[in-house]
Amino acid sequence: MRDNFKMQIRNTLPQLRNYNISPRLLFAAGLVALFVAIPLVYIFFRAFTGGAEVWMRLLQTRIWKLLANTLLLTAAVTGGATLVGVSMSFLTERTDLPFRRIFRWMLAMPLAIPPYIGGIVHLTLLRPRGGAIPQLLAEWFGQPVPTPSPLGLGGAVFILTLFMFPYVYLLSGAAFRSLNASLEEASRTFGRSNWHTLWEVTLPALRPGITAGALLVALDVLAEYGTVALLRYETFSSAIFVQLSGRYDRSAAAVLSGVLIVIAIIILWGELRLQGQARFTQVDSQWRPAPPHHLKRWKLPASLLVAFVVFSSLLVPLIVLSMWSVQALLDPDTLASIMRSGSQTFGNYFWNSLWSSALAAVIAVLLSLPVALLSVRYPNKLTQAISRFCQVGYAIPGVVIALSLVLLVNRYLPFLYATPLVVVMAYVLRHMPQAVRASESALNQLSPSMEEASRTLGRTSLQTIVQVILPLIVPGLLAGAGLVFLTSLKELPATLLLRPAGFDTLAVRVWIWASEGFYIQAAPAALLLVIASAAPLYFLLRREQIFR
Amino acid sequence: MNALELRNVTKKFPSARTPAVDDISFTLRNGEILALVGPSGCGKTTTLRLIAGLERPDSGSLHIKGGLVASPGHFTPPEKRGIGMVFQDHALFPHLTVSGNVKFGLKGQPAATAREITIGMLKLVGLENFGERYPHQLSGGERQRVALARALAPRPVLVLMDEPFSSLDADLRHEVREQVRGILKAMSATAVFVTHDQEEALFMGDRLAVFQSGRLEQVGAPEEIFHDSATRFVAEFMGDSDFLPGVVKENGIETELGLIPQKVNLPIDSTVEIALRSDDVNFEQSGPANALVLARFFRGAYYQYRLCLASGKLIHAFKPHTQSIHPGTSVHAYISAEHKVTVFHNGIAIGEEKKL
Repeated sequence: MRDNFKMQIRNTLPQLRNYNISPRLLFAAGLVALFVAIPLVYIFFRAFTGGAEVWMRLLQTRIWKLLANTLLLTAAVTGGATLVGVSMSFLTERTDLPFRRIFRWMLAMPLAIPPYIGGIVHLTLLRPRGGAIPQLLAEWFGQPVPTPSPLGLGGAVFILTLFMFPYVYLLSGAAFRSLNASLEEASRTFGRSNWHTLWEVTLPALRPGITAGALLVALDVLAEYGTVALLRYETFSSAIFVQLSGRYDRSAAAVLSGVLIVIAIIILWGELRLQGQARFTQVDSQWRPAPPHHLKRWKLPASLLVAFVVFSSLLVPLIVLSMWSVQALLDPDTLASIMRSGSQTFGNYFWNSLWSSALAAVIAVLLSLPVALLSVRYPNKLTQAISRFCQVGYAIPGVVIALSLVLLVNRYLPFLYATPLVVVMAYVLRHMPQAVRASESALNQLSPSMEEASRTLGRTSLQTIVQVILPLIVPGLLAGAGLVFLTSLKELPATLLLRPAGFDTLAVRVWIWASEGFYIQAAPAALLLVIASAAPLYFLLRREQIFR
Repeated sequence: MNALELRNVTKKFPSARTPAVDDISFTLRNGEILALVGPSGCGKTTTLRLIAGLERPDSGSLHIKGGLVASPGHFTPPEKRGIGMVFQDHALFPHLTVSGNVKFGLKGQPAATAREITIGMLKLVGLENFGERYPHQLSGGERQRVALARALAPRPVLVLMDEPFSSLDADLRHEVREQVRGILKAMSATAVFVTHDQEEALFMGDRLAVFQSGRLEQVGAPEEIFHDSATRFVAEFMGDSDFLPGVVKENGIETELGLIPQKVNLPIDSTVEIALRSDDVNFEQSGPANALVLARFFRGAYYQYRLCLASGKLIHAFKPHTQSIHPGTSVHAYISAEHKVTVFHNGIAIGEEKKL
């Protein structure tokens, strides 16, 4: 069955076009791969030439504890996000849940809220001492009531699951939608019940979508710095950050980074194994959406469950941030310190965020073009390898990219050191995969005969790219740029480590104020950051049929 | 001068074990329509793409209008070959209007000339009022004609068509292909066109080239291909023939259905096969039974019967719809053909046969 499926996919791929690979294109893509490769290879080099003594010290003391912490958190959040994400997409896509059209939107929007901002909000509500909810309960009952602490592993799992499940939700939701009704109908004709069909046919068919979402979550947890630092749970990423920013022990940071990358590579490899070749869900002309299941007596509990998820992942952060923002804007002292801190004004933070993320988006998309053209139009082992290679940025946490750039720029490009361009470079390296994937999927939707028609009508290959391919893939490229912009806007650790003095972005300012305890002061910037991320997210979701 | 000449062209894809196109040679005269026909995977589309310059041959050479366009040491890219191509999926540019699509190939012409040609082409294909529409606003048949207008507008020396009607519904297909043939003939265009549909090839082609497994089995006029197949494969693919084994005797060929008085240029006692179409066979309910009616298929104006001979060999026969015979009936079958039958020895047609 599996093999048949593979065969079918292979047969539907555009036929391999065999006119020779343009050397110019190969050269350009090779340069891009090199640009991506250097920081990665360099950090490995530093990690494993860091000296036996650093390794011994770390092995004896910290690595095991960090390893256990990191793996535990990654596993728990990935599991939690998969469970929440798949059940939310099932309820909103395949059942008669009330208000499901609105819920579809609300369940995707937490992607616009960086987990550390969500964490700040929930922390102030739930903190054992002085948190809003424990205080309320104590007043109510006249004595302190024990509440679960948001600090540590439990809190980190809760917060990260709340703000990362949309990855799984969106990808499994897309898979649910592309599922042809005939698939489930076929299973029913073989005598399977609804429930068995779900487990034996529907979910296995969704596996590519679900594992892709789970992969994004796992890699994001590995890279997460803000939330774990806030909730005082130490992982590789936060330990590297501390080594880099506090003690300036770069050898130790490099060793930790090497281990972290190895973990990420193992996860990537695992996903490839799980996924196999089954990456595509075919939508043919015979496609009909499967009819929704009737929830009947489960309608109320299901609605409450979805409402709870929406409430804690979207409404609570938005309401709290809005209330604080109003409070901050009404208080003249707070307002003054928001508007100006040192030589920097609020406008500067906003502008810095905007231009650095936008520049990163443009560069990432431009760099992704030769790679995508090569891998889509001339699929062979070499071009696939180049494309895969340009996507390793996913697996490399921001702190590691920061470390690598600090070391590299310091040594080889000192004129770039302490300029915002290094920050942009980090964004490009980290978020390139999103651009490459968007460009590749845009090109994949373009029939090769379109290019061939242009060639037979007298255009050279370069003219064809400019006059035919580019105009047709612009929407796809914009989607890629939107994703890079969105994720760069939220990026925290690399920005903190690489920014020159005085280069504050919204994310950086929110973080600094919040870590000093000025939550109310941080709120307007946090809210603006969320709104600025929500705008591209809105347009990205609009591209999906179901969100129209 | 020939419009197109292929000499010993071979193309093998790196992933394949056998060549997609194996040592193919043929020529095409000016103003002629050549249909490349064969089952899927036979190399006909690869041949078309080699002519277009979308693939490079491994060996052999291609000439268009006498000029070398491809050989092991030389390759003219598609944009320099002066060809027009109609793609299977039409490949209209969705970001351009119908006029924009047709005008696309007229680069380098003065704007006024280009506009004039575009209007003329759209008029020719009957779409003069559709210039400002976008491809997605057209029906399948209209898209097909825009694709043709776009390919013809630059006045190519050669028009190439890759299964141009396969995306159309059966009704529309018959209508559109008649129009297309008319347009090509009106412009006296030279065209090469690929199809897997025998009937379409017979209708469209001035000549046919029948492919199998990368090799060219036969090139010839439709009548020649149909009535005088060069190989067993051509007879089978083009005419739904049955093959009846026989042995060469002095005064003809001895078969299960009796002696066929037709001389073949082969030694006595050679084994041969005779191609029989349904209209070459008849049967009666009287006479010595030598076959059993297995099945009856209603074909409208006539019935087609499947007969099983004593040896187990299956053959087919037509009868008018007024005569209905039940399956299970024993009958006397015989060869009713009044023309010479085609005789194959080891899959190759044997010539020089004379009716006695």
